[in-house]
Amino acid sequence: MAEEEKKEVRKKRRTATKAAASIGPMVKESIGGTIRAKQEGKKLAYTFIVCLYDEILSVMDIVPVWTENYAGVCGAKRDAERFLERAESLGFSRSLCTYALCGLGFDQWREKLGEMPPDAPWGGQARPDMMLSSGQILCDPRNKWYQAAQQFMPDVPIYDVGLPYPLYEDDIEVADVQDYYIKHITEELRGLVTFLEKQTGKKMDYDRLSEFVDLGERTWNMIWETYELRRAVPTPMGTGDAMNTMVPMVFMMGTQQCYDFYLALNKELQDKIARKEGVVEDEKYRLLWGGGLPSWFALTDFNYFNSKGAVFPVETTYRMIEPIYRLNIPDTNDPIERLAWRWFGYWTYWYDKAKKRPGSEPDVERLIQYIEDYQIDGVVMHEAFSCRTWHLGLIWQLNQLKKIYRPIPVLILGKDGEKTKGKRELPSLILESDIIDISSYSEVDTRNRIDAFIETLEQTKKNKV
Amino acid sequence: MTQYFAGIDIGSTMTKVVIMDSGIISSIIGPTGPEQRRLANKVMEKALHEVNIPFREITYVVATGYGRINVPFADKQITEISCHAKGVAHFFPEAKTIIDIGGQDCKGIRIDNGKPVDFVMNDKCAAGTGRFLEIIADALGIKIEEMGEIGLEGNHPAKISNICTVFAEQEVVARLAEGVSLHNLVAGILESLANRVSRMVNRLHVAEEVVVTGGGAKNVGLVKALSDKLSYTVAVPPEPLLTGAVGAALLGKDIADKTLKDGVSLETKERSLKEIKIF
Repeated sequence: MAEEEKKEVRKKRRTATKAAASIGPMVKESIGGTIRAKQEGKKLAYTFIVCLYDEILSVMDIVPVWTENYAGVCGAKRDAERFLERAESLGFSRSLCTYALCGLGFDQWREKLGEMPPDAPWGGQARPDMMLSSGQILCDPRNKWYQAAQQFMPDVPIYDVGLPYPLYEDDIEVADVQDYYIKHITEELRGLVTFLEKQTGKKMDYDRLSEFVDLGERTWNMIWETYELRRAVPTPMGTGDAMNTMVPMVFMMGTQQCYDFYLALNKELQDKIARKEGVVEDEKYRLLWGGGLPSWFALTDFNYFNSKGAVFPVETTYRMIEPIYRLNIPDTNDPIERLAWRWFGYWTYWYDKAKKRPGSEPDVERLIQYIEDYQIDGVVMHEAFSCRTWHLGLIWQLNQLKKIYRPIPVLILGKDGEKTKGKRELPSLILESDIIDISSYSEVDTRNRIDAFIETLEQTKKNKV
Repeated sequence: MTQYFAGIDIGSTMTKVVIMDSGIISSIIGPTGPEQRRLANKVMEKALHEVNIPFREITYVVATGYGRINVPFADKQITEISCHAKGVAHFFPEAKTIIDIGGQDCKGIRIDNGKPVDFVMNDKCAAGTGRFLEIIADALGIKIEEMGEIGLEGNHPAKISNICTVFAEQEVVARLAEGVSLHNLVAGILESLANRVSRMVNRLHVAEEVVVTGGGAKNVGLVKALSDKLSYTVAVPPEPLLTGAVGAALLGKDIADKTLKDGVSLETKERSLKEIKIF
């Protein structure tokens, strides 16, 4: 019997929720929307997600062009290589953030041609009128990317918002330093408003901003309540879907569309829970996506996990909200101050908890909380080589988690054949690849690791006392 | 009635088969090559021929290794992580850490009672693998089988700074031209490989007993370099290339025993080794 020559067919990615399935068209429309907005003469700004000034841009009628998002789209469509190669040929290192490399390669090409590069994914990325950079944790690309892009667009001004990552130290109390941070963040945002007023010729309407910020806060609460529904067994939604449903959270915050999206998702999840409809029919293993941005070109790997009965009820990645009551926002009518408190409160929420557990630190504490709340059997992390910000420290976090948190009761066979009770850490898996650069990824090797991890989970479950 | 179990481990460079009853009664080791499906048939036929057992009498077949999906007659496919854990525990019941140095990858596995509890893999870089040694042996004009003994005689291992196999090869040739002795050069290469492997394995919190498997375990110089680096005595199985296949066969036995205990029938594939034509 002769073997038939098989054509390579990419399996279509499956999502568990209608909400997640609606995101692709939403993003496509959004990208197309920026191109139309440009044609209509609206002001466009390159910007980054989790920038803290989503609502400010909305009130000033500035259309954001989310440059990381566009690179993610190129990555997901497996059409980023030509932009990455272009950036490398311009002298940028391959080890740089591949969102930035993709964006820089694209921008240079667009500027050189005077039009979009040929067959640009979803019509291409619109040329901005300004570029707004902002720091976040260790991400220096968020400060340097647009400075590099300005080589190709020298007429486009940049404003850099210095948003701090509050330092965690055992001997520093958050309450003692918060006023300094709030003052700094508030000044940075006011500086941004002044810049935007100059660029647009419009004055900021603070009453309108208050309305947007209020809606943003209600949205944070709605997202929290919705995602917490995933504690259910079986879980109605996994991390694969969450990599879609994060879109309104990070690209539309403060808008009614954003709030309505999560309201609809909330209802959808409640309906699924009522019908006991999980991500998979036979849920065997509940996993925590403990860190790392996903490989945008390999989101089908979540389906591969699902095919083995493994689901991800919770993730730390792109869960960029906490319920507002946790953030200790004082009573203030100033929407700029409210934004500053929201930023500070989100990044420092886990600090006090971490201090109460020897060996812990905020990110580890968060992992422990999720493991307990969501009945987690194992932890998966993704090391993306080009992103220091979200990936530096992941291995340390995993090591620390293993040292200080051993929740699995087991019987240990001693040398003399005696069995004693002990505790073991959760099984863990580290995937290695990148966010955009597909040359770092091997499907065969990745799935081999996943297979081995599933076998480890199976053994751990069997041996649980 | 005697039950026979077969384990087949199709690695990136070598294919291994064992047939077991209460112990190993037949084993074959051969190069993998590109035609894995056809080869899987051939090595199984050879192993069966050695002990004059027809294929239909094999109770259960487990395939492992990267090529495990290319074994159409396997009843089950299990990853090398689980198979090596089982196989090593068979030879070393108190083993806690396994280091497998294969042709094109290397792995570290923490085990407990023969079951894997954690693992790390280097499947992205040749620098911790047998391929690294092949390339260097070629550059030095020596046989890879001789490297271990040659390296043991090097009292001052040369420092090889490059972690990339290709650039390490260039560095070795340059050092040779500078007059560094072959013994010290090889000792340096083995030390470099041991460094790469131990950096990866140390993520697992290495615990005794440490066992090394795979082709790398046959290199006495590498085993010594690993022992020195990890500060643990490293044990080597009788035939380190076979632990995966042994583990696969033993896991097959476990599956058969469990179905018997549960009173259900054992599901197996058709017991025939059909010839496969590629075109």
